[in-house]
Amino acid sequence: MRWRKVLATVAVAAVGTGLLTSAGVQAQGDDVGAFRQTKTVERTFTENGDEVRVDRRDVTVQVDHTRNLRGRERVHVTWDGARPSGGRSTSPFGENGMDQEYPVVVLQCRGRDDASLPAAQRVRPETCWTSTVQQRSQLQVPDAAAIWRSDRYADDTARSALSGVRTLPASCGGAAAGTSTHVTPFVSAKGQTFASCSSDTLPPEAAVDASFPPAEQAAFTTVDGKGDIQFEVRSSIENESLGCNDTTACSIVVIPVMGLSCLQSDSRQLNAACRKQGRFEPGSSNFDGQGVDESVSPRYWWTASNWRNRISVPITFGPAPNVCSVLDDRPPVGFYGSELMSQATVQWAPAYCLRKDRFRFQHNVLPDLASFQLMQQDEIPGAFVSSLKTVDGETPTAYAPTAVTGFAISYVIDEPKNAGERGTLNLNARLLAKLLTQSYPGSSLGRQHPGLETNPGSLNADPEFQALNPGLSTGEQEAAAVLVSLSESSDVIKAISTYIDDDPEAHAFIEGQPDPWGMRINPAYQRIQLPVDEWPLLDTFTPAVQQECLKQNNDTPYLTRLAAPVTSFVKIADALLDAWPYSQTKCSGLGTDQFPYVLGRADRQGVGARFLVGVTTLGDAERYGLHTAALQTSAVSPRAPFTTRGRQFVAPSDATLAKAISTARPTGRTQPFALEDGAVRQANGYPGTLVVYTAAKTSGLDRSTARTVASFIRTATTEGQRRGSGNGFLPDGYLPITRTGTTAALFASAQQAAQDVEAQTGTTPGGPGGAGGGGSTDPAAGAPGTDGVPSDAAAAAEDPAAAGGAKQPVDAELKSLGSTQGVHSALGAWFLPALILLLLGCAIAGPVIRLRAAGREDS
Amino acid sequence: MNQSLLVRPARAGVGVVLLAIAVLIASSRPAEAAYAQIEGSGSTWSQVIVNQWITDVSANGIKVTYTGRGSSAGRKAFAAGTTDFGITEVPYQGSGAQGGDDPPPKNRPFSYVPIVAGGTAFTYQVRVGGKMVRNLRLSGDTIAKIFTNKITNWNDPAIAKDNNGTKLPSLKIRPVVRSDGSGTTAQFTAWLDSQHASDWRPFFGRAGLTSYFPRKGNATGANGSDQVMNTIADAAGNGTIGYVEYSYPVNKNFPVVKVLNQSGYYVEPTQYNVAVALTKARIRKDLTQDLLGVYTAQDKRAYPLSSYSYLLLPTGAKDQRMTTSKRQSLADFMFYSLCEGQTKAGKYGYSPLPLNLVQAGFTELSKLKRADPKVNLNDRSVTKCNNPTFVPGNLSANKLAQIAPMPASCDQQGQGPCTTRTGTAPTSVEQVTKASGAGGGSGGSGGASGGDGSAGGASDAPGAGAAIDPETGLPVGSASSGGGAATVAVQTELTAGRAGDDAIFGTLAAVELLAIILAPGVVAVALRRRTRSTTGARS
Repeated sequence: MRWRKVLATVAVAAVGTGLLTSAGVQAQGDDVGAFRQTKTVERTFTENGDEVRVDRRDVTVQVDHTRNLRGRERVHVTWDGARPSGGRSTSPFGENGMDQEYPVVVLQCRGRDDASLPAAQRVRPETCWTSTVQQRSQLQVPDAAAIWRSDRYADDTARSALSGVRTLPASCGGAAAGTSTHVTPFVSAKGQTFASCSSDTLPPEAAVDASFPPAEQAAFTTVDGKGDIQFEVRSSIENESLGCNDTTACSIVVIPVMGLSCLQSDSRQLNAACRKQGRFEPGSSNFDGQGVDESVSPRYWWTASNWRNRISVPITFGPAPNVCSVLDDRPPVGFYGSELMSQATVQWAPAYCLRKDRFRFQHNVLPDLASFQLMQQDEIPGAFVSSLKTVDGETPTAYAPTAVTGFAISYVIDEPKNAGERGTLNLNARLLAKLLTQSYPGSSLGRQHPGLETNPGSLNADPEFQALNPGLSTGEQEAAAVLVSLSESSDVIKAISTYIDDDPEAHAFIEGQPDPWGMRINPAYQRIQLPVDEWPLLDTFTPAVQQECLKQNNDTPYLTRLAAPVTSFVKIADALLDAWPYSQTKCSGLGTDQFPYVLGRADRQGVGARFLVGVTTLGDAERYGLHTAALQTSAVSPRAPFTTRGRQFVAPSDATLAKAISTARPTGRTQPFALEDGAVRQANGYPGTLVVYTAAKTSGLDRSTARTVASFIRTATTEGQRRGSGNGFLPDGYLPITRTGTTAALFASAQQAAQDVEAQTGTTPGGPGGAGGGGSTDPAAGAPGTDGVPSDAAAAAEDPAAAGGAKQPVDAELKSLGSTQGVHSALGAWFLPALILLLLGCAIAGPVIRLRAAGREDS
Repeated sequence: MNQSLLVRPARAGVGVVLLAIAVLIASSRPAEAAYAQIEGSGSTWSQVIVNQWITDVSANGIKVTYTGRGSSAGRKAFAAGTTDFGITEVPYQGSGAQGGDDPPPKNRPFSYVPIVAGGTAFTYQVRVGGKMVRNLRLSGDTIAKIFTNKITNWNDPAIAKDNNGTKLPSLKIRPVVRSDGSGTTAQFTAWLDSQHASDWRPFFGRAGLTSYFPRKGNATGANGSDQVMNTIADAAGNGTIGYVEYSYPVNKNFPVVKVLNQSGYYVEPTQYNVAVALTKARIRKDLTQDLLGVYTAQDKRAYPLSSYSYLLLPTGAKDQRMTTSKRQSLADFMFYSLCEGQTKAGKYGYSPLPLNLVQAGFTELSKLKRADPKVNLNDRSVTKCNNPTFVPGNLSANKLAQIAPMPASCDQQGQGPCTTRTGTAPTSVEQVTKASGAGGGSGGSGGASGGDGSAGGASDAPGAGAAIDPETGLPVGSASSGGGAATVAVQTELTAGRAGDDAIFGTLAAVELLAIILAPGVVAVALRRRTRSTTGARS
């Protein structure tokens, strides 16, 4: 027992000082297997017996990491020197990417490109995964268009009328005179051959329009020959037929499509078809899916001409983690609460069930306040929340800091002219305020809205956004008018609205002051009282519409349909991954009884024209490789002339989360820390930083529950804080809480909380909740949707002094006052009256008393 | 320097220990069948809890992806063979269905497996004097007339009658219906067709249920349950009423209609009231539900629009999308969902499946093994289930139904209405067990947690939440009309007398304002004095 304890301490200390233990932390430093290879690729024609070179390029392919991969992990594939693509399709994935010219095809294949290996272990088209028939098979093509039969690198069998299979399965149609058929069967890891020429000869994981989207891409090369994609690898769990895992070697195969190299054929038509060189300009788009020159399309990646130009990237998978047994008969212990924890708790769960001396841990996602209430009612042992909660008749509660994480403003935005994705984005609080208050009209429909007539149509059309993010397309876009957000209550929404409320420019905008370009807030949101736990949908405007379909579906306010918030953060991450807004603006149907006109979700955005911004958890953003915006930390006076100079933007990272946490002040024994927006900004910390606490009762719990909770807190704050992707480790998107360093106070508070929960001797010495917050509010007052959410809890969390009769917080503040006199006393004394001033608009009484108080202090 | 000297041996030590643990774990790891990822789509009615189950089984190594596109789309994708499973509230509707034919898969043998029960709830936004009404009650007849556009104003006498004479102000009713193919719509219209045919059939133009609600008149269409909630909750939503699974209003803290049942009580779709009603469900041979008995259940607690949803399980031995590993994933995902997964149903606004349905589900699961003998179903049986509705040794009994609290007397037709809030966090089995006492029957003064009064009631109206004894239905303490009305937000009476209120509340507001202005200053002064004395003492 003691030995283990000592070791645990050492391990934690080692992590705390930045030295990582070898176990569990995968792929450190050179271990990640970064890949780079250059290859000369070419296209040649046979002319009168001579070889004529049409094009030749040196393509360099790089992959950021290739070793110890997990299923669904994304690797970054970049290339340079490839032939510029043309006719970009709206999606590069699966069959959707087929109508393009000169793309780079990226596939995951079983096997390695190694001549020393036996044939069965080598990579070949038959071991490369594609999701649809169209990517593998050409059926009954008129001979004059069967360009693969003119491939100068193909062997004789591949040039025959039927190639790839000896006999064609019945479902793939028969041979017809004057036509040619090629099939590229797929061979599964178990050796089974799937002809893949019809939907019923595909392997089990393949389907058109499946729930689980394809990973293979026909990616676009910019006019300067560069390109980059995030490529999602699939393990044998996601794709059993492909079968890649720690024992079966696999590769990512990158094929820069140069076009078929052609023989001189007897058929003039076939010659011409094979030698086509593209009809789309480099860098152009093909949004409406027009036909392309087949000879330079990705459809023929399997031909010898294209296949020989491949660059194969060997990849390895880590061993599958141990998992809990479904037959484990210990009843699960369900903690409920914040979705911010999801990515961490998914990795933590097996570390509990796999140990006989532990329990079966589960995390059930529910809104913070609802979880807190369940915990208070003894329905659940503990709740994950990010701020102080108050409910009537509350039992004393300890808040154990369990994770440092936060929200991200994630986005997917394409550079103009098919020049790739935008990698960094700067946003300030006023831009977030404009988005959330639905102040961008979005389209001509929204522009009918009184007060929005002259506002920029969407975020990208806003001069303020353009000043902070130069170079993006500025055309009005409906989906760019909103921030995809949450419809339910959450501490995240409270944190975002606090960030807006505390920012001088954003605050002035909310109060009705136009921005320097004259953009005004949507009157429906003017002077909205912030912060809020749940963002209300306040607009009531319905525009006049012409279209019959819209006429019949015009009851719900247009801007509400545009905003269309959803019930979980992971749904927002999904929307960003797919670039598929939830906006309910697409009208469809025939106007008949059977197919009436209906309004539904807008279309997916086409790659090359994507612009979507949403609120996600930091954990999800890291897990799914979403781009995250940097948020402005500097406070700028709304009266000063606008300039971008001097504005600081901070992106989420370990360092900036740590800076934010360094400003956290204790508010009392085992109570939530005060993480004040102003202080975080001053320290250049990431404004979206949030601490998630395990809230549990310190009185009234039965002994075994109390022990379970205490043990969870201790495990979660020690071994659960080691960085890594294995069972029990802390994933990216979370800053480890450690015994020493910036998070030491959180660590200590968590251990204290564990002790108090275990002891169950808690009392409420004027603590929060007991008589706190001036009693309960009338939940029905105020904006719709905010009912029942005690907004005074929010105030109490922001300003401990405001929780009436809360002695401990006051003591804590007094102590810090002793050490950092001048600054703190000024802020603390000014903040409260100022807050009340703003909320009530009482201009006189507060300052008078304030001044008197100050006067006395001075004397 | 010092650090690295210290740490190096420590790292080695840790490595050894971790290795040892790893070996231990590896050797003690049970011989589990391998899992392969399964994917499905369909119902949004069930999606809230299905998503949580998916998270839960990921700890078991079972990867499941699910997209809520609506039941109709889920059935279609399953029939087309692009998914491994589907989730739907109603069976395939065959040819001629509204919104296009809905034929069952041609070459894909499958079963309907019940997965979770719940109540189709009516959530609404009706404001009186700016405040949201939270305790509305409606009879089935009134609901039918509202959704068939026969009752178009909230001041309709039928609505006043449902609320024991409390008349709502004149406000246009705007029904919110699903615009996509929806199982929720199908469940609702099945009930309309069965119980209120005279309203429904002329409106629909034919008999039967539909997945595509015929939106007419003042009704608004919304795509998916999320958007139904947004449409009702937005600022323009005053006057709206829509239908969603109970979990949606519960998670959004929005009120739901208490619906009149056959015994003359207005009840909310809590896990108890749904469980009680579903004891009357008749299960057909293919496990599809015949809900006539549910609609007309005689129990005082029964919620009439209770139902359950199904997973479409591919049972064919030659199913093109199935492999042993995928079947094992399906089997164990369902084993978890049918057993342990049901324990959290109540907290999410659903109701656990009764034992007979779980047992029937296991019978269907066994077909996976028949299709593929390599599927391991050992020890996966009803007897291993930790399901809160089971009564050990009694297949047909339903524990939830046994312990479900009786409705309060103010919920009875001609009484009340009760002032407690609806749509709040539901209570659990344990709580009711505690409340009804170890004696397990009558009275019990621990009524504080009865019914729906516990969470929201307590937080918004001190005293009111504890007011109703669930068994006797009698208010604990004061009379329900008096004290309750003053403290609860759900004022529905619109009588004059507001002038008097204004005077009282005006004065109160003035005093509060003054206190808010003065208190901080006074506190600040007091604090400063203390600061000085403390620092003085320290220095």
